[in-house]
Amino acid sequence: MNSPSLLNNPILQRELTSRLRSPKALIAMALVAIVSCTLVLMRWPREATIDLVSQGSIQVFRPVAYAIAIAIMMLTPAFPATAIVSERKKGTLVLMLNSPTPPWVIYIGKLLANVLLSVLLFSVSLPAIFACYAMGGISIAGNVLPLVLIFLGMAFQYSALGLWVSSRSQSIDASLRWTYGILLCLVVLSIGPTVLVGKLSGLKAWIAQAMTTLSPIPALQQITGAQGQSQAIGIGTGWIEFLIMCAVSTLGLALATVYKLHPTMMDRARDAGKVIDPKQSSWLRRLSYLVDPNRRKSGIPFWLNPVMVKEFRTRKFGRLHWLLRLVAGGAIVSILLTVVAATGTVNWGVDRIASSMVLMQIGFLLLLGPSLGANLIASEVESGGWQLMRASPISPWRILSGKLLSTFLTLLLLLMATLPGYVMMSYIQPAIGGQVSNVIISLLIATAMVTILSACVSAYSKTSAAATAASYAVLLFLFAGTLLIWLGRGNPFGPVFVERALLLNPAATALAEMKAPGFETFQLIPNGWYVGLSICAAGLVILILRIARLTRAE
Amino acid sequence: MSDTVVETTNLTKSYGDFTALSDLSIHVNRGQILGFIGPNGAGKTTTIKILVGLSKPTSGTATIAGVDCSQNASKIKRLVGYMPDKFGSYDNMRVHEYLDFFGAIFGIPGSQRKARIQEVMETTSTTYMQDRFVESLSHGMQQRVGIARTLLHDPEVLILDEPANGLDPKARIEMRQLLLQLASRGKTLIVTSHILPELARICNVVAIVTAGKLRAFGSVDEVMSSLCPQRSYEIQLASAAHLEQAEQVLGKLLLESEVLTSSPAELTLRFPTVRTEPELAELLHQLVAAKLPVTQFRELTSDLEDAFLSVAGKD
Repeated sequence: MNSPSLLNNPILQRELTSRLRSPKALIAMALVAIVSCTLVLMRWPREATIDLVSQGSIQVFRPVAYAIAIAIMMLTPAFPATAIVSERKKGTLVLMLNSPTPPWVIYIGKLLANVLLSVLLFSVSLPAIFACYAMGGISIAGNVLPLVLIFLGMAFQYSALGLWVSSRSQSIDASLRWTYGILLCLVVLSIGPTVLVGKLSGLKAWIAQAMTTLSPIPALQQITGAQGQSQAIGIGTGWIEFLIMCAVSTLGLALATVYKLHPTMMDRARDAGKVIDPKQSSWLRRLSYLVDPNRRKSGIPFWLNPVMVKEFRTRKFGRLHWLLRLVAGGAIVSILLTVVAATGTVNWGVDRIASSMVLMQIGFLLLLGPSLGANLIASEVESGGWQLMRASPISPWRILSGKLLSTFLTLLLLLMATLPGYVMMSYIQPAIGGQVSNVIISLLIATAMVTILSACVSAYSKTSAAATAASYAVLLFLFAGTLLIWLGRGNPFGPVFVERALLLNPAATALAEMKAPGFETFQLIPNGWYVGLSICAAGLVILILRIARLTRAE
Repeated sequence: MSDTVVETTNLTKSYGDFTALSDLSIHVNRGQILGFIGPNGAGKTTTIKILVGLSKPTSGTATIAGVDCSQNASKIKRLVGYMPDKFGSYDNMRVHEYLDFFGAIFGIPGSQRKARIQEVMETTSTTYMQDRFVESLSHGMQQRVGIARTLLHDPEVLILDEPANGLDPKARIEMRQLLLQLASRGKTLIVTSHILPELARICNVVAIVTAGKLRAFGSVDEVMSSLCPQRSYEIQLASAAHLEQAEQVLGKLLLESEVLTSSPAELTLRFPTVRTEPELAELLHQLVAAKLPVTQFRELTSDLEDAFLSVAGKD
């Protein structure tokens, strides 16, 4: 009897065939192909003027490269982030670990299946990339090949990351949340020290530069002819450094995950629950947990929606002590940003500081909103709790309002964390008070949009894992996709089209209001608000109809 | 005044061309336990869903305490405590918080809820686990918490879908005692189960459904006598050598309907019969007269399982 090997890997075969059979994979590939080809077609020369157009081919190549990179960031981690934790929950992981298949073969099977899917995903855009090459102005060795290698590096790195987080998570939504959270840190925050602090020297500079190699942004800028922007903010790394970092981080994550894949990982007692008497807890515990999760809760008061209270109590993240920590963190960062600007530590104006804060808030919303909202209905149906609520006299409207409020209020708390920063900003420059108010309104609309859209996705999903992944995809498409169109302003997209696309994105409305770099020419208020509110209203109507259907007698 | 609490009349539910339930007419009195028996897909869950107001019948009526289940679903939800076969647990929620939540959505005021939760926890012996997370409980414990949840709003009728499923023998005995205790307090119970001997021990009335149709309804004895009118008798012999001879003797004495089956390994012969006691005594006398070494001549007791198989086998 032959033991499974790398070449004859049953896990790879199973994972790959089951994923390829999924219509979602086909839809994702079709979307990437359509978007990339549309971008190229918009700039395809209509006459024999290739020499003139070739100067613009790099401007088409750039949004195509970024579009595929965003698609890889959005779609690649979703499957590996659920791969191990869902198998553990279903009980199939223990069966695999008790088979003669070594853990590393299981791991390689899962990793390669996901990487191959990502390769398929970006390979459908290759005709568009080669069309750019045909237009002239870009080369195989200098642009196309490095771009493909970057995509491959991203596929390996994000798959390894998803599997590593999945091997350490206890629930599917926590795994997805952590994976996307770390991804955000890798892509955006890793270049933060260099961007924020500016010119450094010695070991600090080396560490800050090394961190930038975690992000594909400098690498993409280098090969899409925008290296000057990176260098202007002090980033000196490129695509070769990024690929080296991808190889190192993938190897490290792989070793850590394979080490964890052992039958003993299932040998863990379920948390039975421990109640702590607040009078007897230590001062350290009281300090770390202003609201102790192990304290016995009092009954649900009559003035609160019981469904809302239940939602807060049942999710680990939604519990108040976690929220307070996050709110405190957000407040500190916003104040720090304003202080460093005010004291002249960085040469940023109020507009740039406000833009950073808006981006931080949108980052919070997009990181936590889909995970919270997507679990509202799908997980209730999955657990059997929905049937119990249907059998109770509580009205559908109360169920829906309780669920929506639980997510909306959580996200609102996070938004409020940055209020001290805005207050300080208004103090430094009193003239921008009106702009700050408009930004806050835009962010409120963004919060409502994230809550309602993710709840809508949840109401139409059969499982919480599918709801979470779909919710992330929809919201990233809306928020990041419109920014991608903004990135291609002038070439290939005209200003009217860009402005219309940005109307869909309340984050863009806020950035335009603060005159963030690149948004100065756009006037998105009040039309952006109307569009945002219309999306919320339409989503709410769909949601109400769906809930009415889910709760009525069959 | 009639003591009937649950009543269905010609209850029918169709999904397109498929009829899940056809003309079901049953009634259960106050304090009775109805054992609702049927194979998977027989229509049990459909009936339960209609009774708890989660589904509407295509025709016919279902009432609980005189209230129509499809016309007045909100009132029905207060009259019925429903425990589905899926527990419906939530992560990071303690038993006390879980019961508090369900108490709140049933509209029990906060001032009464605390006392009510203590009361149902005492009834179901779950007080000691009130601070434990519900998902960390064993299946038996979860079933108890499930019953505590159904009792919170003090319903007249409890509908329990497979409450003994997956329980160990000790938990099953405890569950049985709990259900009997609830019936003794005047609660009317409708219980589905695949563990028929378990149901036979607690039920006053039994309804057997297969393929959406009611096959038998009444007390356990009534159902047994209607579905298993023939008694089965077993004759055990001292040695295998006499088995063939005994078959020949009985072949002459038994009627065509009394089909004889032999089990050489157990040295036994069995046959169903409707003979009276004196007729059976005469049969035994003739076997002894034929010098057959009969060591036992006894009636095989039929149970609910036999009754169920007698109708389930026909489909």
